[in-house]
Amino acid sequence: MTIGGMTDLSGTDGVRGEEASRKELLRIEGLVTRFHTARGTVRAVDGVSFSIGSGEILGVVGESGCGKSVTSRSIMRLYDENKAAGHEGKVLLKGRNLLELSKSEMRNVRGNEIAMIFQDTLSSLNPVYTIGNQIAEAVRRRGGAGKKEARRRAVDLLGAVGIPDPERRFEEYPHQLSGGMRQRVMIAMALACEPSLLIADEPTTALDVTIQSQILQLIGSLQERYGMSIMLITHDLGVVAEVCTRVVVMYLGQIIEDTDVRTLFERPLHPYTHGLLRSMPKADRAREGKLESIPGVVPSLHAVPRGCRFAGRCEYADSKCLEEMPSLTAAGEGHQVRCWHYDRIGREWGNGA
Amino acid sequence: MLAYTGKRLVSLVPILIVVAVVVFFVMHLTPGDPAAVMLGTEASQADIAQLRHQLGLDEPVLAQFVDWLGGVARGDLGTSIFMKMPVSQAIAEHVGPTLSLSILAQLVAAVLALPLGILAAKKRGTATDQMVMGVSLLGISLPSFLLGLFLMLVFAVELRWFPVSGYKPLADGFLEHLRYLVLPALALGSMQAALIARMTRASMLEVLNQGYIEIARAKGLREISVVFKHALRNAFIPIVTVVGQSFALLIGGATVTETVFNIPGLGQLIVNAVERRDYEVIQGVVLVIAALYVVLNLIVDLLYGLIDPRIRHKR
Repeated sequence: MTIGGMTDLSGTDGVRGEEASRKELLRIEGLVTRFHTARGTVRAVDGVSFSIGSGEILGVVGESGCGKSVTSRSIMRLYDENKAAGHEGKVLLKGRNLLELSKSEMRNVRGNEIAMIFQDTLSSLNPVYTIGNQIAEAVRRRGGAGKKEARRRAVDLLGAVGIPDPERRFEEYPHQLSGGMRQRVMIAMALACEPSLLIADEPTTALDVTIQSQILQLIGSLQERYGMSIMLITHDLGVVAEVCTRVVVMYLGQIIEDTDVRTLFERPLHPYTHGLLRSMPKADRAREGKLESIPGVVPSLHAVPRGCRFAGRCEYADSKCLEEMPSLTAAGEGHQVRCWHYDRIGREWGNGA
Repeated sequence: MLAYTGKRLVSLVPILIVVAVVVFFVMHLTPGDPAAVMLGTEASQADIAQLRHQLGLDEPVLAQFVDWLGGVARGDLGTSIFMKMPVSQAIAEHVGPTLSLSILAQLVAAVLALPLGILAAKKRGTATDQMVMGVSLLGISLPSFLLGLFLMLVFAVELRWFPVSGYKPLADGFLEHLRYLVLPALALGSMQAALIARMTRASMLEVLNQGYIEIARAKGLREISVVFKHALRNAFIPIVTVVGQSFALLIGGATVTETVFNIPGLGQLIVNAVERRDYEVIQGVVLVIAALYVVLNLIVDLLYGLIDPRIRHKR
């Protein structure tokens, strides 16, 4: 793994207009994650910079393959065992660069500071151990707890995430639970670390709609109760609207828009964000109108466009867009966008475009 | 679990009946006559006929079969025509060396193969991985008798660390017993080791890609406990399958190695029996090996349930 300096600063050149009271928990600067493949090296995450405030719920939005999951796994350094992966840039947790920590220091960060939950709850829980065993393991990993104490704590956690009859559930295996229950178990396991940051990678995508909102409510209430920050990865803007305070929109390994949730829905500036918003189903939208989709497909990471990465699918694209990559630019209070034409686009959207 | 085990044991019976039918008729329908073999080439037709009558070989095949099967059902495998002793006694005398050899060979195989397979999976794509896979390919390709002769030449004839051939029963002391078995066990176990190493690697690679491995790492667990607690147990099902099957094959297939190292096991017993058309012995040995095979499969199935609660709960 190469831990170099910041090679791509395109993400940090904007003015960060955050309110002074916002305390940063995690700050990512120019993060690059490379994978060596048979067809050459790809940069799945290409110069990503953003920050998460303490107690903030940050939404990371984008289509599959945009690098949102790779970003989260890079923060956790889950590619350490993958010889083909490498990082550049900085991942600063409370000022400490995680990419420079030793493996054992990083293990402590994982067990104590950052926890993670995934979309696929069936494959995320080990099928051959009871859920209690797996939660107690996380409790004991944090240290200080004996076997009995860890069990008691695990049962408490199961109760805290709304699992009925936690004493009995403790002894059950993942396949005996429903998807929603398994996601609750995952959350309980994450809480066992008492993390200051919870990374939730599409936590509700695989669940029924009714269960989805239950899980989102649970995540929201736990955030309030434990005061942790949450990085919520999703492709569903509805989820973002429901729980997030800030949003980062990613496209092909880069951040293309970074703003608070209100602004994202009221005055989005990037044409890709517009596309995402337009392709959201809405109850009040006329039924006859087809659900809009963004034309074209995401280019392959093996053939990244030279200019703006979205240019090939963008109705505003001109020759400049095809030639030169725009940088992430401040477009207002706490609002950054990576587009040459955001000014015009912003005005048009305001006029009901 | 208990009921399941009982059910499986009962289902053993029809399998063994089928084996009994097949082995009996294959033996009796192939040319060759134990009476002729016994009396040698000089014997007259009349002598042979008389002996055939004595041995009951002149009766209709079906009558012989019913007679034999009736005995088997009562636990009587018949009497060896040549060794002049009950078949069960002959088997009891020869099963020890074969079991010792097979168990030791399988132990050698597992001890070599599991760590190497896990290592290769962890170091996927590196020189270590390629070396393990290369050596295991060699292990699969090399016939065990060739490896046996080679081991014998180097470690017994040249270095004199081990005896060249022969067998000492456990009663002569464990170490002495072991000393005679090391080389044949290595020869016999190497192919199993290669198979198990490959299966372990493939199975581990699949498991290491699972979400719960990522979660285990995300929990801050050490890589050791990620691999040995979370991955290995999940990777075990195909590994146990291969170990079980190859163990059964070992018992049946130790013949060649037993011949090379002159070990008086079931292999030697059956080779001699076939040469002499000693029907009862052949039938008895095959039946016993088949029973062992089925029991081993049952044990493997029960292990599945122990390893994986999903299988346990389905029953």
